[in-house]
Amino acid sequence: MSTRTINNTQEFSWKRFFLQWEWMLVALIIIIFLINSSISPYFLNYLSISDATMTFLDKAFIVFPMVMIMIMREIDISVGSTVALSSVVMASLYNAGLPMVLAIGACLLVGALCGFFNGFLLVKYRQLSAVIVTLSTMILYRGIAYMILEDQSAGEFPTWFSFFGWGYIGSVPFILVLFVVMAIGAVLLLQKTVFGRRVYAIGSNPTASRFSGVKVDKIKLIVFTLAGLMAAITAIFLTSRMGSTRPNVANMYELDVIAMVALGGISTAGGKGKMLGAILAVFVIGYLQYGLGLINIPAQMLLIIIGVLLIASVTVTNLRVKGKLQKKKSKKKVKKAS
Amino acid sequence: MSEYVLKLEGITKEFPGVKALDNVHFDLKAGEIHALMGENGAGKSTFIKVITGVHSPTSGEIYLNGEQVEFDNPKEAQYMGIAAIYQHVTNYPDLSVTENIFMGHEKIGKWTRRINWKQMHADAKSLLESLGSDLDPKTEMGSLSVAQQQIVEIAKALSSNAKIIIMDEPTAALTHRESEELYKITEQLRDDGVAIIFISHRFEDMYRLADRVTVLRDSQYIGCWDVDKITHDQLIVAMVGREIKQLFPEKQNQLGEEVLRVESLGQIGRFKDISFSLKRGEILGITGLVGAGRSELCQALFGIEPYDEGTVYFEGKKQVIKTPEDAIQLGIGYLPEDRQAQSLILQWEISHNISLSALTSISKKGWLAEKKEREIAKELAEKVDVKTKSIFDPASSLSGGNQQKVAVAKLLTTNVKVLIFDEPTKGVDIGAKSAIYQIIVDLAAAGYGIIMISSEMPEVIGLSDRIAVMCEGRVTRVLDKSNATQEAILEASMSKKVNNSKVG
Repeated sequence: MSTRTINNTQEFSWKRFFLQWEWMLVALIIIIFLINSSISPYFLNYLSISDATMTFLDKAFIVFPMVMIMIMREIDISVGSTVALSSVVMASLYNAGLPMVLAIGACLLVGALCGFFNGFLLVKYRQLSAVIVTLSTMILYRGIAYMILEDQSAGEFPTWFSFFGWGYIGSVPFILVLFVVMAIGAVLLLQKTVFGRRVYAIGSNPTASRFSGVKVDKIKLIVFTLAGLMAAITAIFLTSRMGSTRPNVANMYELDVIAMVALGGISTAGGKGKMLGAILAVFVIGYLQYGLGLINIPAQMLLIIIGVLLIASVTVTNLRVKGKLQKKKSKKKVKKAS
Repeated sequence: MSEYVLKLEGITKEFPGVKALDNVHFDLKAGEIHALMGENGAGKSTFIKVITGVHSPTSGEIYLNGEQVEFDNPKEAQYMGIAAIYQHVTNYPDLSVTENIFMGHEKIGKWTRRINWKQMHADAKSLLESLGSDLDPKTEMGSLSVAQQQIVEIAKALSSNAKIIIMDEPTAALTHRESEELYKITEQLRDDGVAIIFISHRFEDMYRLADRVTVLRDSQYIGCWDVDKITHDQLIVAMVGREIKQLFPEKQNQLGEEVLRVESLGQIGRFKDISFSLKRGEILGITGLVGAGRSELCQALFGIEPYDEGTVYFEGKKQVIKTPEDAIQLGIGYLPEDRQAQSLILQWEISHNISLSALTSISKKGWLAEKKEREIAKELAEKVDVKTKSIFDPASSLSGGNQQKVAVAKLLTTNVKVLIFDEPTKGVDIGAKSAIYQIIVDLAAAGYGIIMISSEMPEVIGLSDRIAVMCEGRVTRVLDKSNATQEAILEASMSKKVNNSKVG
């Protein structure tokens, strides 16, 4: 029909390559390392740094599905409660005589069911907002956890169970190995597969996605179930590290996770942001907490710093489209904050 | 008092980097309907915004009743008696008709400072009656049809004593019959001494109504003519800048074997007992009034709202279509009416838009095949002639007509045999229209079976091999190309509606 030729090769551009939010986060991590190691001689101590990594990585597993949820313009604030419920179920089943391996299986199952239930409600009743649905289940799941344990703690797990929280493979913490493997999988899943592309499509225009044959409901259901499953994995690591559990564990985890995702450059308006950004943000917040803890900065101060950092990142990532200038300005702001 | 109620001289409006208006002239007499025409992007909207005080011009003068004026904001223009009725009616759907009419100038009791509802309802009622409408002013705005909402908007303009009314594409969403009602109201307003600026893509609107026509092209003033002194061809040259020899291209399609047949298809409350068949290479036009169930029928065929009863045969085999995936799998493609909301992801690059429905085939075991994706995108974008430099440009950077071409290209990625076009030329200008017609005709010649829903009679008659006319959820008549006339279509589309279709 025509003779026009349209270009389908894109030249590599350094400018475009470096104008990515992820570089900002890399820079932030470097800055945090530089500042912290010059203030405190203990910061770069291998044992303490890997210990700190173990501490903040447990909740980071939930970041993977949360990125996809927020790209789809949804949110899940029930993940903290899901961690608590699956942890409590695991501990009580073990204490009731079930073999530990089966108890772990039950933990994963409960987590996945919690997530599936969220997704089911959202897909079935489309007019409901995710905030309200997951707020309700957040209360519900925590309530069930309290009903099971009634403010008691449960624990005394077999010794091998502590491997999840404290174990090393060679000289690398087990949790870090697993996290990196899963992170690579998550990046590939979101950035390189049909599934990932469809997640972005849903977040960018749900109606057009449906008209294009994307199974919107099915994908939402899968992602929410995944969120529950990851919360259960968090529960295993957390319980293992603490050695026991209570119904009030993992309090406010959902907010930490959402903060990491937002700092990672995922826009709440949907359709934008990358998995890698959120993964880097996990380490930004994690090492910031660790470093500030070392130089005895009080916890309240830490909250203030993270809050400011988050505001800066959210404003910047939402204005980012406007170009380079915005970027430079924001860099200054964030530098100050850290 | 000057002859002209409104006169604009040498209006130029610059935005950073672009001249949206370049030395534009315009004048308007009392009791005149003045058409303003031009392609999309010619500067009509900006011009209207200058008149209504939304934008202030960079240079140039505005005279109202012979006196020079400057509007700092829309409120001032409104106060001076200028009102605009927009294409996409802007109103408060949850409020009543009365509230919509008096929004911003409610009648308030002198002493009590309370809203005088009784007075307002009565005034609303008499305003509507003066427009020949028997709408209840207490009705919720959102429950009205587009045509009725427009009448309310006109009443709103009159309630603020507007002497100049601007109508921006008022007939775009109306059916033939509803347009006719609107014409009458417009003429009545004119006879009452209101000056009207009428913007439309539809030539029939202009011929039917306007006394004079002003044409804008590429932000510039091209000219102003008396409607009866300019020929259709001259007008098109003025608008497009070149001659469009033939709006409807030569058809070369050969009808093949039957590809789709539906038998007594029905969906509760929407349509009933629909039967028709479609051959390869055939263009089947479906027309009728808005609300006759045309879109609903086609969306059911595409699995968006599944049908409740009846059977679909695809290539001779009985099939069930419950979801869009089912339809795509079979080989049915659907071009939605609202491309920005239902088809494209505007912020995405063109190539990702084109590939979206075909991701399963443009992948290996779930992994995206990006090279293949780029090749397919390039091939299809060239095939439908999208005016762009690169497939990496975002869809939002394209004009309406080119976005529509991308939406068409997107359908061709899958292995389709039947294409359903729902109002394919809605809101695109005449240049892009003829390009889209060419694509449709070429696709038919390539052997695709095509169903085209359209409210524009010339389009249906000019392209279709057969025309199915729908009315109140049923096919009232199927006309062959040879006996399809406007009259026959109109008659069939209103065969049941004669007594109860009064607009308003």
